[in-house]
Amino acid sequence: MSFHPQMDYAPARFHRSARRLADQGEPFAFTPERQAAFDRSVARYPADRRRSAILAALYLVQEQQGYVSRQAMRFVATQVACTPAEVEDVVTYYVMYYRRPVGTYVLAVCRTLSCALNGAERVTEALAEALGVEPGGTDATGTFTLTEFECLGACDRAPVVMVNNEHWQERLTPDRVPRFLEDLRARGLAALGGCLHAGAEPGDRAS
Amino acid sequence: MEAVSLTIDGVPVTVEKGRTVLQAAIEAGVRVPYYCYHPGLDIDGSCRVCIVKIEKMPKLQTSCSTVCSEGMVVSTTDPEVADARAAVFEFLLINHPLDCPVCDKGGECPLQDFSYSFGPDESRMDFPRRVFDGEGVMADVDFGPTLMLNRNRCILCTRCIRFMREIDGDAQISVADRGNGSEIATFDEEGVHSLLSGNLMDVCPVGAITTRDYRFKSRPWDNPAVADTVCTMCSKGCHTSVWLKGKPEWARGSKLVRITPRLAPEINGYWMCDIGRFGYHWVEGERRLVRPIVRGADGAQAAAGWHDALRTVGMLLGAAREGGSGALRFVVSAHAATEEMFVLKGLMEALGEAAAATVHWQRSEKDQPAAVKFTIPVTDAPNVNGARDLGYAVGAGNDGVPDLSALQQAVNAGSVKAVYVVDPGPAGSIGDLSWLAAARTAGRPAVLIVQAVESSPLTDAADVVLPGSAWLEKDGLFTNDQGRVQGASRALAPPGDARDDWSILVDVAHALGVTLGYAQAGDVRKAIAEALPGGPYADVDQVTFARPVKASHWLRTSNPSERWKWDFMFQDLPPVKGHSVQTEQGYVDGRVLPLRPVG
Ligand code: SF4
Ligand code: SF4
Ligand code: FES
Ligand code: FES
Repeated sequence: MSFHPQMDYAPARFHRSARRLADQGEPFAFTPERQAAFDRSVARYPADRRRSAILAALYLVQEQQGYVSRQAMRFVATQVACTPAEVEDVVTYYVMYYRRPVGTYVLAVCRTLSCALNGAERVTEALAEALGVEPGGTDATGTFTLTEFECLGACDRAPVVMVNNEHWQERLTPDRVPRFLEDLRARGLAALGGCLHAGAEPGDRAS
Repeated sequence: MEAVSLTIDGVPVTVEKGRTVLQAAIEAGVRVPYYCYHPGLDIDGSCRVCIVKIEKMPKLQTSCSTVCSEGMVVSTTDPEVADARAAVFEFLLINHPLDCPVCDKGGECPLQDFSYSFGPDESRMDFPRRVFDGEGVMADVDFGPTLMLNRNRCILCTRCIRFMREIDGDAQISVADRGNGSEIATFDEEGVHSLLSGNLMDVCPVGAITTRDYRFKSRPWDNPAVADTVCTMCSKGCHTSVWLKGKPEWARGSKLVRITPRLAPEINGYWMCDIGRFGYHWVEGERRLVRPIVRGADGAQAAAGWHDALRTVGMLLGAAREGGSGALRFVVSAHAATEEMFVLKGLMEALGEAAAATVHWQRSEKDQPAAVKFTIPVTDAPNVNGARDLGYAVGAGNDGVPDLSALQQAVNAGSVKAVYVVDPGPAGSIGDLSWLAAARTAGRPAVLIVQAVESSPLTDAADVVLPGSAWLEKDGLFTNDQGRVQGASRALAPPGDARDDWSILVDVAHALGVTLGYAQAGDVRKAIAEALPGGPYADVDQVTFARPVKASHWLRTSNPSERWKWDFMFQDLPPVKGHSVQTEQGYVDGRVLPLRPVG
């Protein structure tokens, strides 16, 4: 018989998909504190709806290892009682989950209308040149990852850059890019302007 | 049944309460295209081509997700609907490669047909198409052991995802990179690993998911004939259709090109498993026995004619039957049809206490997810219940374990003079009989006769081999695990000199001086009906068997919930007169192979 439960299958014989996968990563498990945190969030949902806690689980993963590896997706699937494919579906939908290691600072340049009209593209180019990476890439020192983002809700202070999903730099123009990077390197997140009123310069708040 | 009445395109329609507008339209034969809707899956409402206008509703509605209510007035032809629908089709084709000439779905593709009928005549999109994994068939990538995936053709209807989630119970498929980059994917690109994977080809409305087995093998218009039959690879007895490729006698390759499931709500629903779907190659395989074989005086096997073979069988068995009680043993595969088992029983009765029979088959646990909705039984043979109903000892229940140990002991003890094996299933499906082959080679029993369809170590050890027919080559009754008596119909002719198994047994009986008096299979069924009155066999003589019909005809009359679609897709083929199907008895109306009550 040509076909029976033991399916004869040699994947190497066939044309493989070129889809870019998340990094494989190391075998993953939550640290005890994170496991406790996850158990707390999963307890908020009915027992047969564990999957509702999937976003929380993925944030904990990212907090722990900086990105969401495929191994971690498998782990999360067991935690929230769904399949790894369903976890991957969620991870690939949300841009704030990283699928491979990122730099210390993730720079997300807004590219939506107001920022675009105010030259966000030039900012991206300037950052790319200064860091020697394409958008999506991480620089050689592993300090900066450059990405593009959609509207960050600070359109009146365009162009805007978000750093590490929680910090902001507004009115970043190409000529201010070198100083912006220098300050970040020297003083970390404290160097950022944050949500400022019109006219603030990068670094103003720190002084 | 609580009913609601509504009008669709001015036609009054009454349907069961809770049905959707799309279901009502399909039932009424109104043309509404659909992709994401599948009668066997949950409703999704993602493809938007089924939109209709419903009076008093502010916007166009997707008919697949709108439940009918009393007095609804629905239009599927309003210019507003036609425009919006055309726009949806234009969007569906933005990135579609339109490689129908090299696409396996070509000719039976709802995307082709519906776009042609409802879409705009040209696209206004002049930017390059989004491409995954290359252009053309280079984009066909590995999608597990049985399937290939072409993401460029996918219209993201999510039927495959829902099939895996709802029916298979293991959601192995998902959408990755949702948004402009949405693509159907499996985790790690490891593909679909499921015993139900072939159904994904059926549910995919485009050529995105194709099976390795059928890929590039045929075109719908090359398949001139389809026969409705019943799968016999396990005890479930799924209703299936067998597709035969039209080719001249002398052309190489098989005629049998694929097997697809046929709707049987109480048995297999819309689905079938991969074992039944892909496990048919042996029927036209290299190992088929096409001529009787007789072992000569020199000890070597040689092809023979039926006359010589039967005479030899008569001689050998005639001697064995004098060997005392239990000297002549029959081993019957549970792949044998009820007719065959019945004829054999008649023969054994005539032989008296010299003869005894054991039914044997294989079992295998199927590796299926806990949440699976389509379970494959452990019994890998179709007719264990039929054997029980005829009085063969097969143990209780559906999952019984066959037992040959008593026979094996008797053979070892030397009280068995001859063993006759009736095995119309694929090689090995009767279970492990290697001990019997070894025993014959060692000289005990002195005689081994094998009536089989494939050569195997057992036929190599036999004194006489009689070539029988595979289930697709004969009409036969099989009783499935629910106790339904079903008729499996003949789709092909047996190869070479091979013959119907019941008639071989009648001739063997004759060679032993026993006249059973059956001239055709219908006589046997009549005798079964008389022997087992009042139960599910009471009217088996009335069972009609399907004959291969033209594929286009089949598509029109098959699966009622998809019927309109097929009707429509084949509208440009010449009409088929009436709805008759040719049977042994002549022509009958409508469907054959009626479902029989459980009993
Ligand atoms: S692969 Fe086929 S079934 Fe799956 S979403 Fe795409 S078109 Fe639909
Ligand atoms: S479940 Fe059994 S009867 Fe149905 S297709 Fe599979 S092998 Fe055939
Ligand atoms: S457009 Fe950039 S913040 Fe809104
Ligand atoms: S069939 Fe109704 S939205 Fe797809």
